[in-house]
Amino acid sequence: MDQKEKRLIRKVKKGDQQAFAELVDRYKNSVFAISLRMVGNTQEAEDLSQETFIRAFNHIDQYDHDRKFSTWLFRIATNISIDFLRRRKANVSLDAVVPGTEGLALSTIIPDGGELPDEMMMRKETEEMVQLEIRKLPEKYRSAVILKYIEDLSLKEISEVMDIPVGTVKTRIHRGREMLRKSITAGGGMRE
Amino acid sequence: MNCTSKKYLALMNKVLDHEATKQEEQVLDQHLALCEECRMHFNQLKYSTNLLNQLAHPQLPVGFTKSVLEQLPLEKRHAIREWGSRHPMLTAVAICAVPTLVMIGARHQNRSKNDYVLINASSDQS
Repeated sequence: MDQKEKRLIRKVKKGDQQAFAELVDRYKNSVFAISLRMVGNTQEAEDLSQETFIRAFNHIDQYDHDRKFSTWLFRIATNISIDFLRRRKANVSLDAVVPGTEGLALSTIIPDGGELPDEMMMRKETEEMVQLEIRKLPEKYRSAVILKYIEDLSLKEISEVMDIPVGTVKTRIHRGREMLRKSITAGGGMRE
Repeated sequence: MNCTSKKYLALMNKVLDHEATKQEEQVLDQHLALCEECRMHFNQLKYSTNLLNQLAHPQLPVGFTKSVLEQLPLEKRHAIREWGSRHPMLTAVAICAVPTLVMIGARHQNRSKNDYVLINASSDQS
């Protein structure tokens, strides 16, 4: 962790909200990516990202300077997403429609009414398919896979975020990867 | 997978985790060259993880940070200062009230001390 970040966190511990704003700017898109891939819906992911930062601010005293700040923050983000998924599961009956995977990246790139070029359309379809398959993974595999492939964390870092041994992280990633392989390549085979 | 050995599946995972030695990579390569089933399995794994890697990282709306800040609890020190500037009369009263209360309190204490002395004195007399 760089010196500037340490300084910012010290300020936040004294209640400095401007310093906290800088931390939010640094990490908001990473936190959003985790939430989005965990729950699969942009609006919900945005709300969960806000909740993550608010919880981080309120509990900043519990942050230990010897660990990476991002690790601590990502842990809050995954926990909040998992809590949310459990609440949703409890509220939604089994045959209810699953909330959509609408508006992933493309809605922010393409202006209203603009037509999708074929390639973008394909890309969007693939993204939606992958997102759907990620959402079918059991939560513990899902968070491990997301931290590895979306956030690009090392196995060691993932073990710190999830507070489990590296060996367990590996098992979860291997199983998650195997499940995704099966579902992604089922039937249609591979698309290039 | 029908390929009898789980050894190669473990090797695939090692390679994908970037934890395989050069030698282990060679062993896997040699096997994949011969076993079509394992080759397909490995390609499917790589294909799936590539798709994950390629997922877009969408951006949050511009006002995100601001709306987070708006939901934070007010800073304590600032909260007192803001209250003061919003209620100048009350603040003045509060500031004057403190020494007044202290004085009243002190006099009250003195008086009760005197009473005590008086009572003691009267009890001595009897």
